[in-house]
Amino acid sequence: MFASIPPSEWTLQAAAHLLNRAGFGGTPGEIQNLHALGQSRAIDFLLGADEESDLFPAPDLELIAPKIRKIRSSYLELDKKEELLATARREERNNGLALRYWWLRRMRETPNPAREKAALFWHGHWATSIRKVKNPLFMYRQNETLRAYAFGRFAPLAKEITRDPAMIRYLDLDSSSAKKPNENFAREVLELFTLGEGNYSETDISEAARAFAGYRINKETGAFRFEPRQADCGTKTVLGTLGMHNGDEVIDIIVAKPQCAEFLATKIWSFYAETTPSKAFQKALGEEYVRTGMEAGKFLRVLFLSREFYAPNVVRHQIKSPVQWLVQMCKILEIPLPPGNVTLPIMMNLGQNLFDPPNVKGWNGARAWINSSTLLLRYNTAGKLIRGGGGTLPDIDKIIPSGLSPEQSAEALAWRLFQSPMSDQLHDQTCNFIAANGTSAAARRDLLHLLMATPEFQLI
Amino acid sequence: MNQTLHTRRRFLRSSVLGGALSWTVPAFLERTFFALDALAASSPIQTLTGKDGPILVILQLAGGNDGLNTLVPYENDAYFRARPTLAIAKSKVLPLSGGFGLHPELVGLKSLHDDGHLAVLQGVGYPNPNRSHFRSTEIWQTASDSENIERHGWLGRYFDSCCEGSDPAVGISIGSPQAPQAFDAEKRRGISFANPSQFRFDVRKSSDPDAAEEFFRSINEMDHEMQGESIGMLDGPTNADGETLNFLQRTALDATISSEKVLETIAKTKPKVAYPSGKLADSLNLVARLIAGGMPTRVYYVSQGGYDTHSNQEGTHARLMEELGAALSAFTADLKEQGNFDRVLTMTFSEFGRRVSENASRGTDHGAAAPMFILGGKIQPGFHGQAPSLETLYKGDLIHTVDFRNIYATILEKWLKVPVEPVLKSQFPTLGFV
Repeated sequence: MFASIPPSEWTLQAAAHLLNRAGFGGTPGEIQNLHALGQSRAIDFLLGADEESDLFPAPDLELIAPKIRKIRSSYLELDKKEELLATARREERNNGLALRYWWLRRMRETPNPAREKAALFWHGHWATSIRKVKNPLFMYRQNETLRAYAFGRFAPLAKEITRDPAMIRYLDLDSSSAKKPNENFAREVLELFTLGEGNYSETDISEAARAFAGYRINKETGAFRFEPRQADCGTKTVLGTLGMHNGDEVIDIIVAKPQCAEFLATKIWSFYAETTPSKAFQKALGEEYVRTGMEAGKFLRVLFLSREFYAPNVVRHQIKSPVQWLVQMCKILEIPLPPGNVTLPIMMNLGQNLFDPPNVKGWNGARAWINSSTLLLRYNTAGKLIRGGGGTLPDIDKIIPSGLSPEQSAEALAWRLFQSPMSDQLHDQTCNFIAANGTSAAARRDLLHLLMATPEFQLI
Repeated sequence: MNQTLHTRRRFLRSSVLGGALSWTVPAFLERTFFALDALAASSPIQTLTGKDGPILVILQLAGGNDGLNTLVPYENDAYFRARPTLAIAKSKVLPLSGGFGLHPELVGLKSLHDDGHLAVLQGVGYPNPNRSHFRSTEIWQTASDSENIERHGWLGRYFDSCCEGSDPAVGISIGSPQAPQAFDAEKRRGISFANPSQFRFDVRKSSDPDAAEEFFRSINEMDHEMQGESIGMLDGPTNADGETLNFLQRTALDATISSEKVLETIAKTKPKVAYPSGKLADSLNLVARLIAGGMPTRVYYVSQGGYDTHSNQEGTHARLMEELGAALSAFTADLKEQGNFDRVLTMTFSEFGRRVSENASRGTDHGAAAPMFILGGKIQPGFHGQAPSLETLYKGDLIHTVDFRNIYATILEKWLKVPVEPVLKSQFPTLGFV
């Protein structure tokens, strides 16, 4: 089913497509380097993030919760208390912003972009929002878990997430008890995280919920503990299997269902390839995911080798997410990520606040990223960064060397910005613009901006 | 539709070839563009536009407004018992009727009430109330049950199901470029901006703005002509070849056109009355100008933040009430001067009210049911619905007496005159305020 593309089809454009989708794109030079490796080694290179090159300083996050507790239990006057609390909450919010910026910067700078991209996929999958969780440290820990398991097997990741303090708080699992099991948590696990709608019954939800009763976290440290007194050790029937299942066993029962593999494999495919696959193709994806042991890295390797991934209705048919758009733009312009006071409001206004997906379903993505306001904001932000508004003025001579003919300039720009030839119309207009406006640095910057303020630039 | 498209194309072409930067939307084009469609008579598709049809203005009080100190039950002992420091004395309240009065700073709203322009809906909420700002806001914005997550907003579903063929600016949200969740839609999501001057393609930093503008137009407008598809019809299978690019091109076209239209409209209209200062008044001022300028917009969305009054509520809340009343009063005066007041219905809402009892920090915590206000020239003023009990509470919260979706249903059916079911996904009884 998943035949690899022949070596003759491993073109520069195919390499660019791989780098765009597996990571966050790159400069023409980086694409050339990746292409030179050959397809198989290029994929190994992307998916083979070693520990050493993956080191990145952790964000500096102070634990605010104990501070808040101390203030609360202190014998200070009410007004003084309020003032201290307000300061502590402000610090916590700032920590949240620092965390957000830390991840964006990591995506920009990492030598292992594919791992960050996969972590971003899992973040959208196990959607958890700092808005409810509040504690940035919990969010950071979850992020490290997603990174550690980015290419890993599904079941261990799922078990980790059921013990994850951010998720536990997000879905209120820490108040679940045998008397009052949290069915909402079980519902999200079945519906959104593992099987998908229609593959379980209401009884499965209430039975599964009982198995997760007694999961607790330390409110300050986030440490997980199992509280036997709140647990339900009775027999449960989950998806037709009877037993005294605990939470991990329930995960194992769910993960063993072919529907689970199909649901996840389809979601992974849609994230990277962004087509709506036919029922038959979904089945094939599921089977392949099972064959690779539901291990994301192995599964991605098959996808990245496959003909289907390089099909004409896949290549340059994905709308860049705001994160992709920003990180890739910095790479293309060869500038560092602009400071947080520039980038974070833009991310918020473009609808992708990291650590703050809109709800437990994650980001809708695809066309939902684009409306008239967000499109104009993308267009104007590109102009700002090109003219140095992100703190670093891009070196225009690197992007469009002076002394090129209009034709050559158009080609260089097409390759750098779109990783594909321009439409005839766009090509002609570009040449005409150069002919009419010359090749001063300012005119080249204008042209660069105009080409980034296009529908074409929103695609990878 | 073909004729419309043809006209629009001709117009675009002439605007590009003519190189005119300050083009306007000629009246004939507006008429053709939004012409009544004979087919629509028997469908839920609405053909009236904000130019001549009813207009809805939504005002969000973000953070959870304290309903009890907004509409004060000043003859109820339970209120004074629950609020030893925050209760508003009977002598200070602006009395309406039946033992209820407005916060003393809501002078503006009081005079609207006295003029018969204010309807008060009491005890509005929903079953199994959620005390999270985020989740409760989402429930209000998507009109979902407490247990379900809806993908799209209720106004987005209205745009999608009832406004086929309408202008991209069918809904305008002012205050942030990120649209409110209520606008989330499959096909048409309205437009939103923090400040209209930013809602444009900015070429001012270009070395030759005219050349840049011309290039931009030719890319973002003319391209569309090659596709031969109708503007604004954004649905269709994803990733049929060229589909995604088409979608982007159409959005770019919509953006350019709405941006021009909004800036043009604002430039040519001036407020007819003086507005107080503040973000809410600024937003309502813009809404009034867009209405005066004949925008085809049916729904405007503005918001006022700061209602999360956990501590030292008194001063903060008084300031918010004053800002709210004064802004609404100026907005009403402006619409009356324009002669548009009868076409506009304004609705306030907040994600929840606050706990009945005040907390230890002279504030109030997240609660549940609260009153809503409806303002307009053609509404049924006075009190609607039943006030919730202050003694029979659920976890310290008021128990709602009317589901907020009844209010949405009333507005949809009786004000916007569209069927309720496609928007709210089930039938809800309507109330008498319209």
